Formats: sequence, structure tokens, C-alpha cells
Amino acid sequence: MKRALFLSLVVCGLSNLLVAQNKVHQHGTIVRMRMAPCLLAPRGFMAALSGTSHQQDTGELCPEYVLVADKIVYVIVGKTSNAIVPLAETTAFRLQNNELLIRIDDERHETRFSIREMVLRSEWDRVHPNVVDETSEPPRKRVETALGPETRQ
Amino acid sequence: MMTMGFHRLPWSTLLAFLVLSSKLSPGESAEPAPATYHSTVSEVRLTFFATEHNLNVAQLKKDDFAVVDDGLIIRDFRSFTRSDATRLEVLLLVDSSESVLPCFRQEIGDVLHLVSQTSWIAADHVSVLSFGGVEPRILCAGNCRSAQAEEQLAAATAAGQTPLFDTVLFAANFLAEHHDSATRPVIVLFSDGEDTISRNSTSDAVAAVLASEAQIYAVDLGNAQSPSHGTMTLQAMAAQTGGRYFAIRDGAAKVLSGMLEDLHAGYIVTYRLPSRMAGFHWVRILPTRNLNLQFRCRHGYHYAGAVR
Repeated sequence: MKRALFLSLVVCGLSNLLVAQNKVHQHGTIVRMRMAPCLLAPRGFMAALSGTSHQQDTGELCPEYVLVADKIVYVIVGKTSNAIVPLAETTAFRLQNNELLIRIDDERHETRFSIREMVLRSEWDRVHPNVVDETSEPPRKRVETALGPETRQ
Repeated sequence: MMTMGFHRLPWSTLLAFLVLSSKLSPGESAEPAPATYHSTVSEVRLTFFATEHNLNVAQLKKDDFAVVDDGLIIRDFRSFTRSDATRLEVLLLVDSSESVLPCFRQEIGDVLHLVSQTSWIAADHVSVLSFGGVEPRILCAGNCRSAQAEEQLAAATAAGQTPLFDTVLFAANFLAEHHDSATRPVIVLFSDGEDTISRNSTSDAVAAVLASEAQIYAVDLGNAQSPSHGTMTLQAMAAQTGGRYFAIRDGAAKVLSGMLEDLHAGYIVTYRLPSRMAGFHWVRILPTRNLNLQFRCRHGYHYAGAVR
């Protein structure tokens, strides 16, 4: 009897630990944002039966973000057209049930995103070598005077 | 003293002679070619406005926002300043066509009111251009705050067709010629938004305004309760250039005070051109922390590509 009680406690403890670990946020940086077709989540059993297990476009436009984390780069799409997240330098997020949840500190809640694509960071860096660098200002080596996007001689 | 002066004179004369002779004598060795300095301009400048719950934000910080330029997110800026001290180059476009005949006197009254406002900075330039007939007509350029210009405005009459888009394009080119880096170009458009004779389209006009970096503040003279085609045209032109739309039926005083408040609010941010791809670059500003912040700026800019 005691052994059974002990085992059940261990199982509960482990499951709680797993949940707690699941709540741990990772950190990344959003480097791109555009409006892209929204994704219609597949409806499990029906989707499997109909053979459409992949996600479908709905025709509506939703924000799509490229989130660069330590090892993986996520391309995520909002559930609605107004799923705007703060574009801070660092974004806290976690994964849950095939979704990516971004924490919004000021509003103390999380916004859910569908994952369109996941790429290894090393692979993504190879294909897009300068994206992170392009968005930051390099040290100036010479004085450039300019007022708008134009070219002078 | 005299002696010293006497000694100096021949030396300076000799020097001048040597310089002149070296320049004038033919067959001398060729002078080194004048140096040509090539510099690629690679900076984007955006004027924008920040509001929170429909009120202008006076204390915006550099890290409160990010610019999305053709999908790339920019957080590092070269400069960030308030635009309240920037001199304005304002061009008022007065619709003097037949279509606005019933409200033309009121329109002129509002224009005169706007011109005579005391909240202009002394160095602000105000020009007025009327359009009715085939071509736009400049009533006064830069000096419209003088009494003589006001008399000219008061004497204006309404007649003819409405070359709205041609006029906006003309105004954009006028501002592109007349404004410099220290000024902020603004078009205040009084119209019902209905074009009847232009050779150019709405998109031509908006493209020219975007190229001139001006913003359109549209004052809708139409009195219809339901939005007309002209209303939608004015709203679109204002939104695409980062300006604002006002309806004259809301009351001239409210419209003008809102416009004047807006003209001296706002911020200017500059950043390195993130992509040298020629063509139109879409631009949007979004908050980095506070999602209640809303930003208004032109929808993009045209980059012609690097010259080699």
C-alpha cells in the first residue's frame, strides 16, 4: 500500500515537473515581419481522414514573424490578422502542443502562433547570412550625408 | 612703417604674377584632374507620429518602437529627434472648381484662418496653390502670410473642372524643389476628392508625394453623410503618405486646431538603408513594449538602386 502511494506521488511529482519545465520560456529575437496568408489548423481526425494533414491558407492575411532562437529559427504565423507582438530586442516564448506562445509582458498574457516552418539556426544563417547584421547599425567608417534613400555623386 | 609697406608690395605683386602666369601660360604640363568624390547615400528618413488612446505621445523614447522596412526589423537608428523644431514647408491646395462652389467661400475662410494662425514658427514657409480648370495656379509662394497674399486669396473665385491628381503631383514636385534637409514638407489639401480632368492617376500622385517625403493633410469639403468616392480617395492619399484626413463637417475650428497640433508634433527617425533592392520599400512602425502605442507614417519609399 505504501509502495503504491509512493509510486503515485513520484508520478504526480514528475508530471508537475514536466509541466513546470514546459512553462520555462526560451528567448529569441524577431528579425522579420510581414503579412502572409493565415493558416487554418488541421482538424485532427477529419483532416487525417480527408488526407489534408497539412495546414491550409484561409485567404485572410495574418502577421508572420521570423523568430531567431539559439539553435532553431521559427517562422510563425498569428491566428488572426491583429496578432501583433511587441518587437523588443528579446522575445520570450515557449512551445506547447505544436504552437509557439509569445509572452507579452505589459499585458501579462501569451499570444499563440502556428509554426509554419522550423529551421536549424546554422542552416538558416547559411541561407540568410546577413539578416541579423543588416538590421543593426555597423560602426561607421566614413561620414555619409544623406536625407533620403537616394544616390549622389 | 612705410618701409615695411614698401617691401611687402613687390613680393605680393610677384606672387600674384607667378600665380597668374602659371594659370594662363599655354603648353604647360596638364593640371591634375579635379578630384571626384563618390558617396553612396544610404539613409532612410521617416517622419512619424505616435499616439496612445488617440492622444499624441510627447515623450517617446528611441527604444519604444521598431521600424519594419520591407519585412526587416530595424531597432538601431542613426538619429531620433522630435520634429517640433523643424521648419515647415507647407503647400495649401485650394480646390476652386465648380464642384465646390457651394462651400467655396467657407473654404477660402478656412484657408485664410489657417494661414493667419500665430502658431507657425517664424521660419515656416506657406504657399497657396489653387486648382480649377485645366492647370493649377500658384497664388503665392512661400510668403502667403503677408497681407497682400491674403487679399489675393480672398479675391479668388471658383470655376472649371477639377484636376485634383495633376495638382497633387504638381505640388509634390514643387515641394521636392523647394524643401531641403532642414524642412518638413506638408501638403494641406482642401477638396471634395472628386477628380474630373486629370491626366495622372491617384497612384501617380501618391508616388510623387512619397518621393517628395511630404505628407498630405486632406480636408474633405464634401458634405455627404455617407462616405463618397471622393472621401475614400482623400482618406487613401492621407493614409498612404502618413498624413491625416479631416471632414469639414466636423467643424472648421476642430479641423484646423487638430491639424496645427499635428503639424508641430511628431518625430523624425533615420536609419541605414537595409536593402539596396531597387523598387518600392514598404515601411511600418510598431511598438517594442507598449501595444497601446500606435504609429502613423508614410507607407514606404521608392529606392532607385545604387548608381555605379
